[in-house]
Amino acid sequence: MDAVETMNKARSAPADTGKTPLIDIRNLRVTFPSGGAAPKTVLKGIDLAVKSGEIVGLVGESGAGKTTLARSILGVPPGPGRIAGGEVHFEGRQILSLSEAEFRRLRGRRLSVVVPNPRAELNPLLRTGDQIASMAKIHLGVNGKEARRLALQMLRDVQIPDPERRMDAYPHELSGGMAQRVVIAMALICNPAFVISDDATSGLDVTVQAQILALLTKLVAEQGSAMLFITRDVGITAHFCDRIAVLFSGEIVELAPREALFLEPAHPYTLMLLASFSHSPRLRDSWSVPDTSRRRELAAGCQYADRCPIAQPVCRERRPPFAENGPGHFARCHFPVRHG
Amino acid sequence: MRILAYLAKRLVFVIPQLLGIVLVSFLLVKSIPGDPAVLMLGPTATKEAIAALRQQLGLDQPLYIQFLIYVRNLMHGDLGTSWQTTRPVLDDLYQRFPATIELVTFSLLLAIIVGVTLGVLAARNPRGWIARVSDIYGLSAGALPDFWFALVLIFVFYTVLGWAPAPLGRLDVTIIPPSPMTGALTIDTLLAGDWQGFHSACAHLVLPVLTLGLVNAGPILKMTQSTMEKMLESDFSRYEVLCGVPQNLVVRHALRNALPSVVTIISVLYGFLIGGAVLVEIVFAWGGAGQYAVQGVLNADIYPVLGFVLFSAIFSLVVYIVVDLIYFLLDPRISN
Ligand SMILES: Nc1ncnc2c1ncn2[C@@H]1O[C@H](COP(=O)(O)OP(=O)(O)OP(=O)(O)O)[C@@H](O)[C@H]1O
Ligand code: SF4
Ligand SMILES: [Mg+2]
Repeated sequence: MDAVETMNKARSAPADTGKTPLIDIRNLRVTFPSGGAAPKTVLKGIDLAVKSGEIVGLVGESGAGKTTLARSILGVPPGPGRIAGGEVHFEGRQILSLSEAEFRRLRGRRLSVVVPNPRAELNPLLRTGDQIASMAKIHLGVNGKEARRLALQMLRDVQIPDPERRMDAYPHELSGGMAQRVVIAMALICNPAFVISDDATSGLDVTVQAQILALLTKLVAEQGSAMLFITRDVGITAHFCDRIAVLFSGEIVELAPREALFLEPAHPYTLMLLASFSHSPRLRDSWSVPDTSRRRELAAGCQYADRCPIAQPVCRERRPPFAENGPGHFARCHFPVRHG
Repeated sequence: MRILAYLAKRLVFVIPQLLGIVLVSFLLVKSIPGDPAVLMLGPTATKEAIAALRQQLGLDQPLYIQFLIYVRNLMHGDLGTSWQTTRPVLDDLYQRFPATIELVTFSLLLAIIVGVTLGVLAARNPRGWIARVSDIYGLSAGALPDFWFALVLIFVFYTVLGWAPAPLGRLDVTIIPPSPMTGALTIDTLLAGDWQGFHSACAHLVLPVLTLGLVNAGPILKMTQSTMEKMLESDFSRYEVLCGVPQNLVVRHALRNALPSVVTIISVLYGFLIGGAVLVEIVFAWGGAGQYAVQGVLNADIYPVLGFVLFSAIFSLVVYIVVDLIYFLLDPRISN
């Protein structure tokens, strides 16, 4: 991760101190229809704000709802999902209530997403250069020639080997790492204010992961964009995220500045996450390995109660409040872990 | 390069494929009851006359000898003679096959326009009214017998309204047919600069083309709709939406990805309709190849039947090769 550290130092824009955040997600709820029965609530009221230039990490295990959140922010929840409530304020507008035509103009232009497994996401019949250029053509209104010039420049920026030749390559001719760079190029070519990186490095081997990560953080910092960095690996977020949110079963259970999260985790689930990634045997032993088989939806109370080693009867009865435990440090737990 | 290698491989198999088709149809046709010699000479013929004719036609030979003779004649471009028209089958087919192809091609064009347009619109908005109309249409088009639909159209547009010409062939009787160049009257009349003939040829095409086109738009519609729905739900379409690509463009890209399936169903229909249009040909007295072959089957006139099968097989093979070339052009994953 050395590359990441160096790139991290290169970051120019510190977190903006302005009062209004760039993007403010309020009580966002997303449901999936579940044949006949009551729809399944996958996001249970997400509140999250990101200031311009800030990088916020979002950590959660598989199925926590990370992709659902990423895509719902853009107004396009996955599959048959439906936004059942909530607001997303971005650059002064509640974008979830925009018309489809207006919202479309924001996607890829002001708000963009870097997707995982890009070889399945790129159109198999179009050359990569054309796919990148079409972003510029659609959103920046430049002509075809200028769009291709920008696309080529972008391919250089994402440090793809032999960019001229890659312009004419089809997605199936790219390696996973190269395809990931192409998707980053598409996400950044219009210089968006907010980038969502959804598990952008999953499915790549470790060295390529580190390179892609370094590249993404460097480009985002150079552009001065804010980023929501989604991952399953809490360890990655330690390197460059200003704040980190922990998502569990469709709820943000902890939100804290980076140091606070790693040094003073308040929610038992966060502690478990850190323990399983930590090298300290003492931590690992006291917070046992997660039992993912025991996952059921709890109507009332804490979503984590079934797996929590310190759960009390009250945890199953009352939903814990999202309480502040320190400056900017929130946790949704009746018995937050105390440190020191 | 891959294209050339592929074509070469394909062409090597054409001759054995055709031979196989001819053999199977020969056996089938031979199993049709009825003795051509008896039918040709009529009920008053003597036994001797029949025996003599059988010998002259080679019908007294064992089946495999008959087949070998037929194949040898084929090599010399001799497809046999129809005893009903008393003309070489090749001449008959030269005249009739283009009539069928012309009819089927225009019908298929109509079917494509209707089927693909409705299919795309329905997939684009799966809960809209076009999708509902398409569902009903896809079901009922498959359930309607085409000749019945033809009779309805004739009743409405010829008998009642008088807008369409009489369903009696491809041209008004008062018009002298153009000298055959392609055999397709719309093209030949144009080449001859015969506007009146062109107009008449088009007018005669309208009802049979409507019949076949609207009936066969059904499967194209269903295939387009289901493939487009799949493509619009696929990862790359969703990613395009996430990237703010306008819906029209997303649909266009999805259509390109859906095209191979649509082209496949079109090509299957094209081959099928050459023979499958026969009832409509009969209703409109079209004088096409299907009608010719059916007459052959009914009258133990085997050479027209065999000739028709051979022509249709060649036609289908050509269509399939063209389709494969289209796949090559459409999909970079195949072509390199
Ligand atoms: N198409 C769908 N239909 C029904 N439920 C779905 C669908 N897609 C996702 N879900 C539900 O939504 C929940 C969240 O899924 P999501 O893909 O957002 O998780 P994730 O955190 O991105 O997981 P991963 O790390 O595996 O990508 C899952 O538990 C799943 O049950
Ligand atoms: S509320 Fe109770 S069950 Fe939930 S995490 Fe806290 S202690 Fe565990
Ligand atoms: Mg995901």
